[in-house]
Amino acid sequence: MKDDKLLRWVLAFYTALVFLFVFAPIAASLVFSFNSDRFPTIPLGTFTTDWYVKAFSNPEVWDAALRSLIVSSVTAVIATAIGFSAAYTDYRYDFRGKKAFLVLSLLPPTIPLIILALAMLGWLSMFHASGLTISIIIAHTVLCAPFAMAVIRLRLSQMDPNLEPAAWNLGASEWVTMKSVVIPFTLPSIIASLCLTAAVSFDEFAVAWFVSGLNKTVPVVILEILTGNIDPQVNAIGTAVFLVSITLVVIAQVLVMGRAKKPEAV
Amino acid sequence: MPKILKPNRRDVLKYGAAATTALCTPYVSRAWADTVEINMLAWYGHGEPDVVGEFEAANNVKFKPKYYAGGDNMMALIAQSPPGTYDIILSDAEFVQQLNQAGYIEEMNPADYPFDDMLYDDFKHFPGHWKDDKLYSMMVRFGHLGVSYNTTAVSDAEAASYKAFWKPEIKGKVGHFDWHLPNLGQMSLYNGNGAKLWDQDEAGWKKIQETTMSLRPQVGGFFDYGGTFNGLKNNEMMAMAGIGDWITGVLERDGAPVKSVVPTEGGIQWTESYSIGKGTPKADTVKKFIQYMLSPEGQVHSARMLAYPGFCVTKAGRALLDQKDPKEAQRTGQVDGMPNDPITLIKDGRIHYRDIPVQQSLEDWNEFWQEYKNAS
Amino acid sequence: MTTKPTTRPDYYAIAWRLPLIVWQGLFFVGPLLFMVAMSFFLVKNYRMEAAFQFSNWQRMLSKDFFWDAYFFTLWLALLATAITSVVAFPASYFLAFKASEKTRRWAIFFLIIPFFTSYLVRVFAWQVILAQSGVINAGLSFIGIGPWQMLNTQFGTMVGYLVLCLPLAVILQTFSLANIDTRLVEAAHNLGCGRLRAVFTVVMPLAKTGLVVAAVFCFILSFGDFVSPYYLGGSKPPTLSIMIVDTSKSGQQWPRAAVVAITMILTLLVVAFTAIGFAYRKRGK
Repeated sequence: MKDDKLLRWVLAFYTALVFLFVFAPIAASLVFSFNSDRFPTIPLGTFTTDWYVKAFSNPEVWDAALRSLIVSSVTAVIATAIGFSAAYTDYRYDFRGKKAFLVLSLLPPTIPLIILALAMLGWLSMFHASGLTISIIIAHTVLCAPFAMAVIRLRLSQMDPNLEPAAWNLGASEWVTMKSVVIPFTLPSIIASLCLTAAVSFDEFAVAWFVSGLNKTVPVVILEILTGNIDPQVNAIGTAVFLVSITLVVIAQVLVMGRAKKPEAV
Repeated sequence: MPKILKPNRRDVLKYGAAATTALCTPYVSRAWADTVEINMLAWYGHGEPDVVGEFEAANNVKFKPKYYAGGDNMMALIAQSPPGTYDIILSDAEFVQQLNQAGYIEEMNPADYPFDDMLYDDFKHFPGHWKDDKLYSMMVRFGHLGVSYNTTAVSDAEAASYKAFWKPEIKGKVGHFDWHLPNLGQMSLYNGNGAKLWDQDEAGWKKIQETTMSLRPQVGGFFDYGGTFNGLKNNEMMAMAGIGDWITGVLERDGAPVKSVVPTEGGIQWTESYSIGKGTPKADTVKKFIQYMLSPEGQVHSARMLAYPGFCVTKAGRALLDQKDPKEAQRTGQVDGMPNDPITLIKDGRIHYRDIPVQQSLEDWNEFWQEYKNAS
Repeated sequence: MTTKPTTRPDYYAIAWRLPLIVWQGLFFVGPLLFMVAMSFFLVKNYRMEAAFQFSNWQRMLSKDFFWDAYFFTLWLALLATAITSVVAFPASYFLAFKASEKTRRWAIFFLIIPFFTSYLVRVFAWQVILAQSGVINAGLSFIGIGPWQMLNTQFGTMVGYLVLCLPLAVILQTFSLANIDTRLVEAAHNLGCGRLRAVFTVVMPLAKTGLVVAAVFCFILSFGDFVSPYYLGGSKPPTLSIMIVDTSKSGQQWPRAAVVAITMILTLLVVAFTAIGFAYRKRGK
């Protein structure tokens, strides 16, 4: 079928264009980060690593990086714990109000971040808790828990439903079963969730911008440079952040994909 | 744990720590040594190394800046932070009064600052900075707002009036700095209100709104600080309202064909002043810093600030600038006797200090600005 | 599966149920409810005071500019949803039906990457690409046309929305298309149904749920985004999300920002439920 082949190529070409669109800005910012112009235009200036030097010798950037690291790792741990408990509840129990429970557990990502930011700012400043690092952690956990739940729930659905009862019949308590059966089984998804939520938190700027005050995270610093003194440092910082995030995602991906394939060969 | 593993792990820790230390040393010494942190609330750029670096190094302090754009934004940021969050506040002169009223700033001792060396008498007793003969804020720099334009699209003769914004050829290429006060002030000047630009009754305010609305079809966008830069630099915008040399100066130094002039209807002066945050335990350091910013060296740093330039306020500061960076001094007219010497402009009555509306509330102005932005 | 029978309250079950309820109750439902309350508060001298006044609602809802912004934002988001869905579909179709399993996995992996590069940095890059003296216009002038005004227009905003939504749309669409039983499509072909017709009459109805969910996410994302309309559209005119930033950042008018936010949430709910209702409506007919 010649017709079919042609169609295939046209579609493949189109898909390539879509990917080009998606990756153009990422590539562009990488290029601009090595470009000497402060306001990049075409033709490009000369090659330079100045923006990296500048960004990395700026204590404010390090300060923000440290804070982002703390925020994202703490967020990841709490969000994953909450996500795990919610996923396990959904997996194992049926109870009155379960629908409401599920809505509550999956709703946060559907609320625009800017609205969540405003609500959070109002709420936290009522307790004089806005402008602290912990405020960002709290807000990010709200945002990340649903992702954690989704990832872990996916893994739980691959678990043999008879596994737990089998352990109970052998005399293990529920808690022991949890520790020696359920957690080991879901471990890859737990690690994946840790990486994923850490990456989400590491990149979030709207909520962090509203509630962070003086305690800025990396994306807030980026936003401030963009609204302030536009400076290609942004590209350098962005590229560095990209490397961190992508590492986390690759780990998550390998764990989820690698293990998921075995039991479920579609 | 088996014993054999222990040294290994220790080694890993040791080398890991060593490597981390080596990587971070240059920064650690600055960022995490035993330094005093000063929380600063300011317009963009005031806490950057090119301004405060020298002072930080000499006094073992570290500035932690939070940047704002526009006085309303500043007031909002203070109001939403716990009291005593900011040790030092850079404010536009017209907002000092409000800061004082709300009890956000400390009284200052006039004897600490070089009042005798001020370039112009007005600066010694700037409106709102004193209350009952007590000093609450110290002016450190100022600048003038007028018509900012790309010289390839607007001629110098055209730019001599705010009318330039309505030039048909630049339709869709007039930008606004997104803050109501300087923009509406310029519209008021264009209406011929002169020195009464902030003091308009209902009819005058209505006319300002009409004039502003008539500019709407020309407008290509509303920008924050960074967007204003980009717009002018990328040739997206050929003229910009609500700004002055503080933005075009940076681009001009970079070689872009843009400049700002004070048109015949008059220009507006922005004035930036430092205040000491109420209840700060670091008042002494802050005082020292303000003194530093008023010293000749500090004044030169301010005049050459990377984020945006501002005029010197002291004679000694100007003298040192003339000597250290004659090119920049020439460019900005900060040489005694130059026709565009900012002080001469003020003396000639062509400059009006930026103020808050007298007969309307800031909120009225802000709300109209919202409406204007949403108009089509 | 059975739960272990117990007579006393099942502490084990409760222990797993509570964390989410407590956390999201305190830090998600709480703030949202507080925002509703906040919309009735008053602001004096940049400070919020608890009150129960309808003045914020009255003030916002009676303003023409609010409604202009409202319908403008709605229109932009709907347009972005339509454009994203249409642009994404052929690519998803390719990935789901024409590409090998391996290609598809890699493609999905690559599509996830953008989520973890700063959206801000990407938008900043587009600013440079679209500018009057930017990459595209430089290319155009090379072949003797242009320059075109792309930045600070609705076109710019739309590019930004596409940057935000496209990867997610392709991923979701691909998943839903890949789950279709291809035998049904083949059967349609065998019965003499043309390829394009098969897409509309067989493939799309079968994948309806996934396609609608993808569209809903596009709508949510672009409806609430303030970065693209601001940095690529020149906030001309501002969208509701820019209005939230404006009113809350300058002048401390959180209550009025809350009014805007609540209107937005209500709109989202209506749109989302209508769409989901449509998606799960029984096929056939």
